Amino acid sequence: MTEALGYFFMSWLDLKMILLTAAGTFAGIYVGAIPGLSVTMAVSILISFTFKWDVNEALALISGIYLGGVYGGSRSAILLNIPGAPAAIATGLDGYPLAKRGEAGQAIGLSTVMSVYGGFIGIIALALAAPAVSSLALKFGPREYLLLAIWGILLVGSLSGESLSKGIFAGALGALISTVGLDPMTGEQRLTFGSLQLSAGISYIAAMIGFFGVAEVIAQVHTLHTKAVRQDVSRIIPAWSLVRKYLGLATRTSGIGVIVGALPGAGGDIAALMAYDHAKRTVKNPSRPFGDGAYEGVVAPESANNAAVGGAYVPMLTLGIPGDAVTAVIIGALYIHGLKPGPMLMIETPHLFWFVVGSLVLANIFLLIFGLTGIKIFAKVVETPKPILLPLIIVLSAVGAYAINNNPVDIYWMLGFGVLGYILKTYGFQVGPVILGMILGPLMDRSYRQAMVGSGDDVGLFLTEFVTTPLSAIILALLIFTIVSQTRWWQRLRGHDLPPTALKP
Amino acid sequence: MHTHRDRLPGELGFMLLALLFSLIMLWAAYGISRFESLSSAGAFPMACAAAMVISGAVNLLGSARSRLKLSEGRSWLQEWLVQVAPATLLMFTGLIVAYMLLLEVLGFLVSSYLFLLVSMFVLGSRRFVLNCVVSALVLAAIFVIFREAFSVLLPGGSLVGPYLPGFLK
Repeated sequence: MTEALGYFFMSWLDLKMILLTAAGTFAGIYVGAIPGLSVTMAVSILISFTFKWDVNEALALISGIYLGGVYGGSRSAILLNIPGAPAAIATGLDGYPLAKRGEAGQAIGLSTVMSVYGGFIGIIALALAAPAVSSLALKFGPREYLLLAIWGILLVGSLSGESLSKGIFAGALGALISTVGLDPMTGEQRLTFGSLQLSAGISYIAAMIGFFGVAEVIAQVHTLHTKAVRQDVSRIIPAWSLVRKYLGLATRTSGIGVIVGALPGAGGDIAALMAYDHAKRTVKNPSRPFGDGAYEGVVAPESANNAAVGGAYVPMLTLGIPGDAVTAVIIGALYIHGLKPGPMLMIETPHLFWFVVGSLVLANIFLLIFGLTGIKIFAKVVETPKPILLPLIIVLSAVGAYAINNNPVDIYWMLGFGVLGYILKTYGFQVGPVILGMILGPLMDRSYRQAMVGSGDDVGLFLTEFVTTPLSAIILALLIFTIVSQTRWWQRLRGHDLPPTALKP
Repeated sequence: MHTHRDRLPGELGFMLLALLFSLIMLWAAYGISRFESLSSAGAFPMACAAAMVISGAVNLLGSARSRLKLSEGRSWLQEWLVQVAPATLLMFTGLIVAYMLLLEVLGFLVSSYLFLLVSMFVLGSRRFVLNCVVSALVLAAIFVIFREAFSVLLPGGSLVGPYLPGFLK
């Protein structure tokens, strides 16, 4: 216990760590707020830069960026009516009407305090749940991991995309790409077509930067000249009575945020929309009607999306399965630093877990400080015109891809994935499942083959063991439910009660 | 599931290409270790490619069933140029490709500066002085930060590199 506390406060006692966490949180707020920059993009690019660093330093920076970024999107949603990040879409529904009433300052202040509150609930949930989940995860065999990985990819594909079949295609494509190169078990060439270049495998970091950086930038050429509306911001710090009034709601929606965040594949954006929906259904007398500037409409999504951060760390650290796109990228970072996220992480490197929790708490405190100050400069920076911003992101992406191995070939891969990502996005595919597939592919490949060998290459036995092992059976049931709930048959059965995807504007 | 949504120009072609690619990949994955055993090196890639073939076929069918909606008076190509690849987007993508190719020849500083200026102009930022100053400042910041904090050595370029003064290498 005292040891855990020591690790917990590690980032608090080292000036460099404090500065890195502060810098990360500060940068995260801007990254999240500037329309066109995303946390996933920033973390993807940063990974290749920080891999020569000490792992703790890299994690402190990334924790800050993640928490700050999830929050930052709400500021531009309120001030400009342009959500800086998907997680802030729901915030804009009532945040912008509030700003139009001249209450932008109040809205930002309240969203800051509630984000921090939600963030703390998420972190507490992480600290309490992760050790339990990880001891349960020790009982998992290859079969369970295979199912969990497939389930995670399906959830990302179906919750965030427009159709399940496109999600499956994207996830399978990612998993297939991950198998290119030498087979780690037998050393055979797989899908290399005799090329030496391909036998080294395809770098998933180059793919990440391509998909989340270059593809995103190209796609934004469509919305080059979206005009922003300026707001007045004077009073930021919200009245205590206002905060106290909404603490109950914030606690409930933070709970939603934690659970949605912890589900493999579903992140802050879905958590925020579900929380908004929850507030709309349960709050009987909102301060104003929802959509006209109800405080509840800002409180619910903001507390939920920051609570989802702590939730998303749970499956990432305990199972090695990311909770959303950002944690997928963070897993990539952990692998680069030679760590293996999974149940053994907490046993072999408990300090890492408590360090992460500690630096998240620290980042959350910085979030409160930065969230309530510097709003005037902020309003200026956020208005950076896209014609200037987009080329700069490309340069950063190129540097990021190059930095992986000091190899220009990675830049070409990034470019290829960037163009592919744009085409995929245009025709309704999500790129998240491709990345998830690339990261989880090796785990699925290994788990599948271990399970198959365990059943003596007998298909019948292999399949029946999915049902006869209790743990597998539970995950399999969840997986099947995910698929069934996407069919028209199920939606008709449920009548008008539409799944959360229907909430998406 | 939106079965009756409108189709974008080029969507059907892309879905067909995606399916063909999946089939080729399935064949290539089969070639790894054929049906040697169910836990062989080729089994998982084959499963992935098979999933791609099946979902790719479903996507193609869905796309074929939806209607291609053209705005009034626009041809297929015009619609494609508006919805999928506007001229600015094509030019910008072309610039990105050129930039990445020139990076090795001209080096990071020169090629990035050229890329930033030209693409800011193409994207519609017509304040030249501002563009020049912002590009220079950001490049200087990137150069210093990445060399000092992240110890990333940026390419000097085969053409320009040898003539650069020491502190820019």
